Amino acid sequence: MENATPADDFIPAGLASLGIEADEIDLAVMAAFHQLLWPRLLELLALDTEGLEIERCPDLSQAPR
Amino acid sequence: MSTGLDTGLRAQAAAIAAGDVDPAALLEATLARIEQRNPALNAVIATFPERSREMLAAAPEGPLHGVPVVIKDEWPLPWRAQRFGAAELMTPTAPGESGPYRALRDAGAVIVGVGNMHELGAGSTGATSVYGPARNPWNTECCPGGSSSGPAASVAGRLVAGAVGADGLGSVRFPAAYCGLTGLKPTFGRSAMDGHHMAPVTTLIVSGPLCADAGDCRLLGSVLYGEELAAGDASGLRIGVVRDTVSEDVTAEVAEACDAAVEALRAETGGEVREVELPDLEAATLAAILIINSESMGGTTPARLNRLDPELSPIARGSLKYRMLLPATATTQANRVRTLMRRRLSALFAEVDAIAWPTIPAPAPPLEAPMVELPSGTATADQANVRGAALANLTGIPSISMPVGLSSEGLPIALQLQAAWGADELLLDAAEALERANGRRWVESLPPLAEASPTEV
Repeated sequence: MENATPADDFIPAGLASLGIEADEIDLAVMAAFHQLLWPRLLELLALDTEGLEIERCPDLSQAPR
Repeated sequence: MSTGLDTGLRAQAAAIAAGDVDPAALLEATLARIEQRNPALNAVIATFPERSREMLAAAPEGPLHGVPVVIKDEWPLPWRAQRFGAAELMTPTAPGESGPYRALRDAGAVIVGVGNMHELGAGSTGATSVYGPARNPWNTECCPGGSSSGPAASVAGRLVAGAVGADGLGSVRFPAAYCGLTGLKPTFGRSAMDGHHMAPVTTLIVSGPLCADAGDCRLLGSVLYGEELAAGDASGLRIGVVRDTVSEDVTAEVAEACDAAVEALRAETGGEVREVELPDLEAATLAAILIINSESMGGTTPARLNRLDPELSPIARGSLKYRMLLPATATTQANRVRTLMRRRLSALFAEVDAIAWPTIPAPAPPLEAPMVELPSGTATADQANVRGAALANLTGIPSISMPVGLSSEGLPIALQLQAAWGADELLLDAAEALERANGRRWVESLPPLAEASPTEV
């Protein structure tokens, strides 16, 4: 997706902001995850759920109330 | 007197109860079988013969009196902490009693070993584990499925007749499918979970049985549920099929076998098949992934991630660090999608009793390269498998995987049924109906490894 944040920027910046160290292998693995997940994550965030009545503390053993 | 070694779980239990099998002889034969076959499978990563003999000596007259079982490396035992298939966990663990352990002990079962699993439960193939991968008895070069790889391989290889797995994103159903077994993912909260290191926070993971057939799953499931999963009647079963990626982006052999199984189930139950709509399955899959990632990271600090055990796989290291970068708003949206899908399913289950689609889009791939070829192209098995499994975990509904054929390469193919909350018994009824419909052909099929060895040790 055009608006996906490039892993080259997003991952090192994110790690640096959290103080997490990563070697080249870590970065390669993270880039692969990012490539796979990020476009789908953007699609998820774009999903229109406005008007959806949210379940408060859903009981997952039961159908929604 | 037979040792009962190569019979099923309920046959073993019945034979012991009738005095036809000596449980001590069965235990020793099982330990010998593990010693004989496990080197080829790496399914069982710990045995403790003296503990097992002590369990048998103290076993009450329960429904599994004297029956040997394997439990996944996901719960502690009084003499062993779980390792979750990994060099280290994000949460401390210690030996102790767990819900599944107590359920098995109180039913009279004998735990004979701990089953291997995919590292940190984070994979559908079983290809990665601190113990080395478990191997598929149908072809030891192929993935056994994950994350409950060892429990599945130990049952399929006829080391034991039943095993306890866990399912957070398909981890009972994938290995059941790859290994030609029946695997039940219970309704969330119905089966024993306490003692699991994520039990206080998880909203997705459940314990579940892996056995050769639905009847054995009913027996072991009843023990894990702490209540009898009574047999009922699947007559008039209304089966919903979803024409979407989960049913269409699968190999031709999988599609053919699953379509035939659905039709056979319809005919056997005198039911009906109808196409139903279930939009946003991709979003539901990602929502489940985001939620389980978030729940599994609870309490993990950046400093903690800077001192990960070097024996963790590169994938686990990278995955753990990447999870820290996922925005909280995505998890919030994931929970909204959870509500959305729960409401849609609630409405859908007014129209149909069960939803059917293939458990796995392609049979077990090679351990060396766990990739699958699908109509949409080449994909990692993890990427392809999860889209058919995550919905049940996200929403809490029960699901069952059952064998419905063999590929041209001799690897199992499986159909998944999902039902409404609490309808676990219906899924077992339906699975038994399907077994009747196909003459129990697939649940009685043995992998070459189990056929090649003597039936009694």
